[in-house]
Amino acid sequence: MAKPVLSKENIKLNVAIPNKNEAIRYTGDILVQGGYVDAGYIEKMYEREQMATTYMGNYLAIPHGTEDAKQNVLETGISVVTVPNGVDFGDGNIAKILIGIAGKGDEHLGILSNIAIVCSEEENIDKILNATSEEEIMELFSEVQ
Amino acid sequence: MAEATTRAKIQRFGSYLSGMIMPNIGAFIAWGLITALFIPDGWFPNEKLATLVGPMITYLLPLLIGFTGGRLVYDFRGGVLGAIATMGVIVGAEIPMFLGAMIMGPLAGFAMKLVDGGFQHRIRPGFEMLYNNFSAGILGAFLAGISVYFVGPLVNALTNALASGVEVIVSMGLLPLASIIIEPAKILFLNNAINHGILSPLGVEQAASAGKSVLFLLESNPGPGLGILLAFSVFGKGISKSSAPGAAIIQFLGGIHEIYFPYVLMRPMLLLAVIAGGISGVFTFTLFNAGLVATPSPGSIFALMALTPPGNYPGVILGVVIAAAVSFAIASVVLKTSKAEEEEDLTAAANRMQEMKGKKSDATGYLTPQPAAGVIGDTSEKNLASDNTQAVQSAPVRSAHEIKKVVFACDAGMGSSAMGASLLRNKFKKAQIDIPVSNTAINQIPEDADVVVTHKDLTDRAKAKLPQAEHISVENFMNSPEYDKLAQRLKDQGE
Repeated sequence: MAKPVLSKENIKLNVAIPNKNEAIRYTGDILVQGGYVDAGYIEKMYEREQMATTYMGNYLAIPHGTEDAKQNVLETGISVVTVPNGVDFGDGNIAKILIGIAGKGDEHLGILSNIAIVCSEEENIDKILNATSEEEIMELFSEVQ
Repeated sequence: MAEATTRAKIQRFGSYLSGMIMPNIGAFIAWGLITALFIPDGWFPNEKLATLVGPMITYLLPLLIGFTGGRLVYDFRGGVLGAIATMGVIVGAEIPMFLGAMIMGPLAGFAMKLVDGGFQHRIRPGFEMLYNNFSAGILGAFLAGISVYFVGPLVNALTNALASGVEVIVSMGLLPLASIIIEPAKILFLNNAINHGILSPLGVEQAASAGKSVLFLLESNPGPGLGILLAFSVFGKGISKSSAPGAAIIQFLGGIHEIYFPYVLMRPMLLLAVIAGGISGVFTFTLFNAGLVATPSPGSIFALMALTPPGNYPGVILGVVIAAAVSFAIASVVLKTSKAEEEEDLTAAANRMQEMKGKKSDATGYLTPQPAAGVIGDTSEKNLASDNTQAVQSAPVRSAHEIKKVVFACDAGMGSSAMGASLLRNKFKKAQIDIPVSNTAINQIPEDADVVVTHKDLTDRAKAKLPQAEHISVENFMNSPEYDKLAQRLKDQGE
């Protein structure tokens, strides 16, 4: 039985996170808890971050593993964490929305594409950060198609 | 400045011609091999296989050239139109229409481009396919039809003019000057009327009384063509260099002169070389009073030798050798002087899967020196700049139509690249640019990607993986100015 890529349980709102490493661990943990990845995946997420930042711009960061981490992925899934106070992702980049990604196949690309389009508009960033329920987020990310 | 522009135009034109011919050299060689081996006068006559010869040179080669020419102007769609229109030229004329293909191919592509420019944006969603197919079909039918009517009379008129020119020259006894007409006529496939219509009958008359005639040597001398091919073997580059020796064998030993025509067509200055080679050859023949007993067909050195009457060997051989030497010398100068720019093209082009693409981007390359794979942040500016400094007509054949595939790459191909790709796709969609954008891991960047977009930290890896693509480096994936720049560039040039 394939899990939904994004479910309510994968979304955490208004979290305070002190630094980048914690941010990665936090988003990774959600994926581990949800049974999407094994614990080794988080190491690979750190590794990936070393290689090049996953900070995308527009307060958005998308921590995920390296290419060879695909063996640690059990199911494709994403986690969403909002951090209104921001986390420093280095180089003066402050991330307020964290999208943890575990991709095995291509099932997550549709929703990721929506996230990208939604987050490319600055006013949507505010909407996401002001969201009060997980459903709101689910709705925001699924509405464009 | 004006001079530089003219020069650039001429160079562009030259590389344009070679862009139509070079990708198809393989077909020429295939045809040359089949012809040299299997025609009745060939090395292993084979009636069945020889039936390939006519259709290949009449249809296959001109259609390929027409397609390629159309494609240079307006991508695949232009290519299809080019091929359709070329068919009209083929049917309308009785000789292999290389020149016709080289004119109609790009013209048809351009016509399609104009029509699309006028209509495409008015097509309602859902009707694109219908429009695309029928507009191409209607325009193609129209162009092919017109060609049938116009080309035949045109070719006939040209042939007659040339033939009467040769007749005058021969009757005045200025034989060497006949090469001025014969050599270019050969390249345009207009030689048969001259050879069989004028030279052969006159030659047969002379041979009947004198036992030989020099007229049989005028057109069949393989020397000038050999000189061209040898010059390419030594001073050419890329495909033209590597294919020239084989072509020389087919031409000189096999007697299939047509094989060197494309080499001349792609560098028209080489006409000087074949003309001068022809003149010196004929001059030598007359000096030694050499002749042949009949028309050598095909014009192979073996056929020439077989038809040389006793005592005429020194004159015939010397005439061939001198013609080859003179043609070689002039061709070498031509190739060397224009080498720095265009020759580079062909090498680069050979390295790429898609010939035309390579040629064109290098055509840009030599005008604006840049590393093989520049970061687009600055090269795009340069490209645009060079567009402006070049002829206006240069814009249609470039960039927008070269770019058929944009790939976003990141380490794993699961995150950033997917997001970047969807953003860019979205931008393209809004700008009505119909170019696919995909995302992938750097290690799996497809060979045929034209533009590769990566995060600035990963661009070096991407370049190492696919050096020939254009690389765009972005910092902010979510909102990079590069996206709009690229979209704008494609839109401007795609219109």
